[in-house]
Amino acid sequence: MARVITVSVVDDDRMLLDGLRTWLAGVPELRLVATAATVGELLGAPEAQLPYGFGRAGYAPPDIVLLDLVLRDGSAPTDNIRRLLRTGSRVLMISTVPDRSRIIEAVRAGADGYLTKDHDLPTLVAAIKDLASGRGALSTELAFACAHDDSPARPRLSPRERQILLDYASGLTLKSAARRAGITVHTAKDYLDRVKAKYQQAGRPTHTKLDLARRVREDSLDAG
Amino acid sequence: MADVTGKTVREGVVLALLSLPVRRIRALRGTSGVGSGLQRAQSFMVVATLLYRASHLTVGALAVAQRRSELPLQYAGFAVALGLSALTYGTALRRGWFDRRHIWADALVIGCVLPLALCAWGGVREPPAIAWAMLLGGSASAVAAISLERLHALTVIALLLVTHFIGYQAVGASPAVILGHLNSIVSSAVMTWLFRWYLLRQGRLLDEANARAVAAEAHKARYAERLEHHRALHDTVLATLTTLASGAVDANAPEVRRRCAREAAYLRRLIQQTAAEVHHREIGAALEDAVGSVESLQLRVTAQYHDLPQVPPEVAAALGDAVREALNNVRRHAGTGHAYLTATRDPDARGGALVTVVDRGPGFDPERCVPGLGLRGSVHGRMAEVGGRATVDTAPGEGVRVELRWPG
Repeated sequence: MARVITVSVVDDDRMLLDGLRTWLAGVPELRLVATAATVGELLGAPEAQLPYGFGRAGYAPPDIVLLDLVLRDGSAPTDNIRRLLRTGSRVLMISTVPDRSRIIEAVRAGADGYLTKDHDLPTLVAAIKDLASGRGALSTELAFACAHDDSPARPRLSPRERQILLDYASGLTLKSAARRAGITVHTAKDYLDRVKAKYQQAGRPTHTKLDLARRVREDSLDAG
Repeated sequence: MADVTGKTVREGVVLALLSLPVRRIRALRGTSGVGSGLQRAQSFMVVATLLYRASHLTVGALAVAQRRSELPLQYAGFAVALGLSALTYGTALRRGWFDRRHIWADALVIGCVLPLALCAWGGVREPPAIAWAMLLGGSASAVAAISLERLHALTVIALLLVTHFIGYQAVGASPAVILGHLNSIVSSAVMTWLFRWYLLRQGRLLDEANARAVAAEAHKARYAERLEHHRALHDTVLATLTTLASGAVDANAPEVRRRCAREAAYLRRLIQQTAAEVHHREIGAALEDAVGSVESLQLRVTAQYHDLPQVPPEVAAALGDAVREALNNVRRHAGTGHAYLTATRDPDARGGALVTVVDRGPGFDPERCVPGLGLRGSVHGRMAEVGGRATVDTAPGEGVRVELRWPG
């Protein structure tokens, strides 16, 4: 049997947390290990340790954190994502409304997927499994936001990538989108992962020399 | 609740954006106008000074024609005055305002050089022979006063006064003639400057009033739209929440959950539609009607809108009808109970619209299957009526994708 995937949820809606707890209890491959109203609460770290704090000692990062896009503590989604990524978890964004500019920001900050809260349990479980296996979680909302991103900082997409993105955003299954483009499903998924990678690449901050050095190191690691 | 607050904030932003034109007009005060009122004031000033110059040129033409015996310099001088005037005013009429270089050339050549040249080489020995050239100085000072910056305008007027004083002295004009002439140069400038000041002020007031009226109109339209949404929210979300809060119904009953999901989807689309800064009602409202009609028949619709273009009302109606029929097809044939709708500006056609209706059902073989009456008549036919196009793409096991494009 495959390893159990550990999941934490950060959301300030008690009802949603209760609902997710009930939902995930019925899925044997997943284990909900923690719920919290803020990222700080989840990490148990005093705010003073920001931005380089890695959470309190003994914090065991889950494989996946489901993170609500807009938390009531007023924290910036991008900060939340970066804090969670530094602990080693992967981040799946969840939100009530597909707010496109924020979706783009979240992906650029390193989130691996984005779902609106109206999806059913199988979709959520599939997305979590995708993330845990190292791939991006697909959703029409995310594809739509990237396909219609007209911000000046958007990465350049190839016509093929754009085509797959648009078709997937329109609601087609990946299989149908691949058929229309005359490629295999596997290739189509690669295209979508590449789009997400381009966004994350463009979103990596290079403000200081330290960051720059880190980025060069990351790039050489990527190449190797 | 957080979403509702977000919407209020966004509306505030929209209203702030609407008031921008007013502020921009204020900021441009004193520079060349952009508003229609300012433009009209400037056009009027161009025509008025042109008529003034034309009257002086007419006098010049008559004077030169009467003194045929004089040296050719008189003819040449008049030709230069005519040519330069044509250039200055021609450009101003075309562009809506004067080119400063032309004004300087006009003042220096026609206002200063011409009278002095006529005195020196034109064989002019008595005041009446030079009067037509002196007269042009009046219109030169008038136009300089309204088109140059204050210091430049004062310099030009001073230059005109000095050269004209020297010119008339040289031909031995009486002090009364000289004084009268200098007075006319100064008063021409003062009068046009006052006219310009008054007209620009009126133009600006007019523009501000117009901008206020436009903003008020937009505000009213948004208010009406908000009222409409409030009414819809009252009949749906509020009614459902109130019933649930009373505990009178089982919140877990399938029909209650369906109703909640439907109304949540409605709210989600509402937020998406009002989030766009430029919000065109026609197309959004038509699609919303179509979605509403099938949602009550147990079809879940995931709708995503982006940058909806402005289309004629009949096109919006046709898109709405075609979408309704495509959604009905999903409901009848897909068997998934779920349809995806997207509507965006068409990236390949200026001002065009691109709408897709997609399902993940079993699809059909387009080679063997004759499309039902619904797809052929209500989708293809309806789009063709308004110059649009519908394309159906499907394969067995792969769902159906209906694409609507306008213009086709």
